[in-house]
Amino acid sequence: MARYTLQRFIYMIITLFIIASATFFLMKLLPGSPLTNQEKLTPEQRQIILEKYGLNDPVPVQYVNYLKNLVQGDLGVSFQYDNRPVTELIGERIGPSAQLGFQALVFGTIVGLLLGIFAAVRHNTAGDYAATVISVLGISIPSFVFAALLQYYIGVKLQLLPVAFWEGFEYTIMPTLALSMGVIANIARFTRTEMLEVLSSDYILTARAKGVSQAGVIFKHAIRNALIPIVTILGPMAVNLMTGTLVVEQIFAVPGLGEQFVRSINLNDYTVIMGTTLFYSALLILVIFIVDILYGVIDPRIRLAGGKK
Amino acid sequence: MNKLDYQNLSPELFQPAPVNTSDQEKINRPSLTFWQDAWIRLRKNKGAIAGLIMIIILTLMAIIAPMTSDYSYKEQDLKRAKLPPKIPVLENISWLPFDGKDANGVDVYEQRGIKEYYWFGTDDLGRDLWTRTWYGARISLYIALLAAVIDLLIGVMYGGISGFYGGRVDNVMQRIIEILVGIPNLIVVILFILILEPGIISITIAMVITGWVTMARIVRGQILKLKNMEYVLASRTLGATNSRLIFKHLIPNVIGPIIITTMFTIPYAIFTEAFLSFIGLGIRPPEASLGSLVSEGYKSIQTFPHMMMIPAIVISLLILSFNLVADGLRDALDPKMRK
Amino acid sequence: MEKVLEVKDLHISFDIHAGEVQAVRGVSFDLYKGETLAIVGESGCGKSVTSKALMRLLPTPPSRIKQGEILFEGKDLTKLSEKEMQEIRGAKISMIFQDPMTSLNPTMTIGKQIMEVLLKHQKLSKNEARNRAIELLQLVGIKNPELRIKQYPHQFSGGMRQRVVIAMALACNPKVLIADEPTTALDVTIQAQILELMKDIQKKMGMSIIFITHDLGVVANVADRVAVMYAGKVVEIGTVDEIFYNPKHPYTWGLLASMPSLDHKDEELYSIPGTPPDLLNPPKGDAFAPRNPYAMKIDYELEPPMFKVSDTHYAATWLLHENAPKVEPPKVVQERMRQFALSSGKKGGEFRG
Repeated sequence: MARYTLQRFIYMIITLFIIASATFFLMKLLPGSPLTNQEKLTPEQRQIILEKYGLNDPVPVQYVNYLKNLVQGDLGVSFQYDNRPVTELIGERIGPSAQLGFQALVFGTIVGLLLGIFAAVRHNTAGDYAATVISVLGISIPSFVFAALLQYYIGVKLQLLPVAFWEGFEYTIMPTLALSMGVIANIARFTRTEMLEVLSSDYILTARAKGVSQAGVIFKHAIRNALIPIVTILGPMAVNLMTGTLVVEQIFAVPGLGEQFVRSINLNDYTVIMGTTLFYSALLILVIFIVDILYGVIDPRIRLAGGKK
Repeated sequence: MNKLDYQNLSPELFQPAPVNTSDQEKINRPSLTFWQDAWIRLRKNKGAIAGLIMIIILTLMAIIAPMTSDYSYKEQDLKRAKLPPKIPVLENISWLPFDGKDANGVDVYEQRGIKEYYWFGTDDLGRDLWTRTWYGARISLYIALLAAVIDLLIGVMYGGISGFYGGRVDNVMQRIIEILVGIPNLIVVILFILILEPGIISITIAMVITGWVTMARIVRGQILKLKNMEYVLASRTLGATNSRLIFKHLIPNVIGPIIITTMFTIPYAIFTEAFLSFIGLGIRPPEASLGSLVSEGYKSIQTFPHMMMIPAIVISLLILSFNLVADGLRDALDPKMRK
Repeated sequence: MEKVLEVKDLHISFDIHAGEVQAVRGVSFDLYKGETLAIVGESGCGKSVTSKALMRLLPTPPSRIKQGEILFEGKDLTKLSEKEMQEIRGAKISMIFQDPMTSLNPTMTIGKQIMEVLLKHQKLSKNEARNRAIELLQLVGIKNPELRIKQYPHQFSGGMRQRVVIAMALACNPKVLIADEPTTALDVTIQAQILELMKDIQKKMGMSIIFITHDLGVVANVADRVAVMYAGKVVEIGTVDEIFYNPKHPYTWGLLASMPSLDHKDEELYSIPGTPPDLLNPPKGDAFAPRNPYAMKIDYELEPPMFKVSDTHYAATWLLHENAPKVEPPKVVQERMRQFALSSGKKGGEFRG
């Protein structure tokens, strides 16, 4: 287990390094300069700025400096936001995104699990079909379409909830719903498949042969075994949520990281793009790493097999 | 039949009836090839069939509608800007939004004296949305298919080589994949689009750069599994050549998972393209894709909801249909479910 | 002798998209107190379906008990509600399955899995249940039970797991134990140990066992009576001596002839020609006729009734009809019969795995 953890950890570092390097070189290939949108600058001022940030150095030197700074947790400064450090910008924006992601994850997981278990237990009945239709729709309707529909009908037409902005809990409801749609659908589908497989396994038959009731079979035996593999979709789920926040924050004008990222893309704000990209990547890679390790902790077969070695 | 009857059976019946050896191995059920069997099961799946029909209809519309329309997808005319949808016949059904009236119930066509019908209305530059929607669907489908096919080619080759040769080759190739898998897809796609100017080809390339990995992993997994199956070993011990093994034994058995993976790639690619458009990295006007239409339409959703709703419905239907067919295919081609 | 369980004319069908598969087509047998009844037959003959039906463990749909009765303690099990069945399962009738590798819950400790059945059916405290679980593990020959109950199934070998499954099945002193091929998935040496254990426990606890198997060696070793099944029917039933020494049904002959023996090294092993019929469209007449070298015209016309050979021995073959020609069993079987007769006082010959 320790060896496995170490191996995973090394992979994580290599991946991060590759992403950091790729981001750097790709940014160097970018058309336009970070100062494109600042026409007011005189050529002299331009030179001073370029000099100050080492943008006149040869690329390899820039690269080494970039990596050095990176190790120290310095992601550079934004050219568009008054030279503020990128880490500070990210820190400022992470709150709403994290809250949104967390709410969507919790809500989506609970609803998704219930839906999936319900569908599996009612296999091949109207309830199962209804749950399946909901999850297929949830997977198929893009999150921004769903978000826009919510905003238009619930916010604009019915005026039940605030249309946009971030000023209290009721402002978080619609973005959370929009974001959790994908989570619900994915978890429900996965849970249903896993539950069906577990319910047809031999040990469920053994449990039934012991006289355990239907509910006992489902709650004591099936769910735990079906839930173990769900850990594996947490990785894709994190990606899903991240993608979701990019557009959902745009639509509901949430002052989060995603909204800032999209804006920096449109402003060609190099350092912010690079920094946010790295931040997102690190986050996702960390999630995948944790999921890998977690899987071993939850499943006694892996946990103990690893422990013996 | 009671006991008495058994006593009175004719002795004639007790003549030996020689066993017909040819009958012994007779199989009562018609034998079906794998594909016939899969097709029968797919046909039973109502969702998949509905999806298939929908894909055919939407594809035909995407091909035919822009060609037969009176308006081009980029022709601007500010005099006819922001018209709501109006469709002959359907305009008389009051609850359908095809009567040419705007959100306030004013018949804009009458107001501006426009005689023509714009089935899906027009956008804020007066471009016909019927033409643009189907033209956009064409572009979205084109990008998705292209990405899926390239993924397939690279993935099958990479996975096939890695799985078939195994050993050190596989080891090196797998390490590369393991690192690539760790890199979040979307990040790479966004970075690449930033460098390459947004357009059909650059979007496709950006999606393929990380997209093929899934296919490669699935193909490799299948090949590894099949390679150690007894029937392949048997064929090998009988002296089958590598190419015979690949074409006769491996490919036919990997093709199911390949098709399923491709079918799941297509809706994902459609979604990714739309997503990129929505964050401003997609197709640029006057070109159109479903994603860019939704994104443009979203800007005026409060006043002209049709501008977003129509392409949003088409894109959702498209993704839904592909997902349904992919699900159906997975169920139909998965030999585990065979009974 | 006291009847514990009575199965009368049981019919079970599976409704699949291609039609109705008649997996069990009129099975009747009695189970007496303290005896072991073996049900033998090829794969797909309906023996497993029958055994699961006794516990009402078949999924409905697609399965359905078309007709027949299963009488246990004066009740017809086919008519009981799911709730009432739960009171019987594990307490009065329990079951052991074929593959010990998959029949235990991988994420629950062995102790919990045994205690579950105790807590469900007996009024025990957790502590009492734990102590009883330890006793049970001791009974089935697992060492260090105090330690072992805290472990997960994957920490046990196949044979040990089967012992755990047996312990679980015995927990509430059931009247009937159904063992569905309990040794098929095990090594030969482990098989012998498990069989010994089962015989031993039966002696101590006095329950009746229904032993499903396709292995005649195992049958000879454990059974008091044998029911031979073919194509969803019992074709011959009798004491183990009657089935091994005096078989009447040509299918039983075939089974006996295809049993390997250490004493006949050069002999080619006999195999029954053909394959069992498709139960989606069961053939008219005797289902075995197309594979039966002694088939008569009537076999293709009428299903044979159960002919009585002795008070305990019945067989469903027209060969037993008074009009039928006298036929001799195949040489191999004759010889084997003689050989069984010779093999010392041991009932039913020695165990040959």
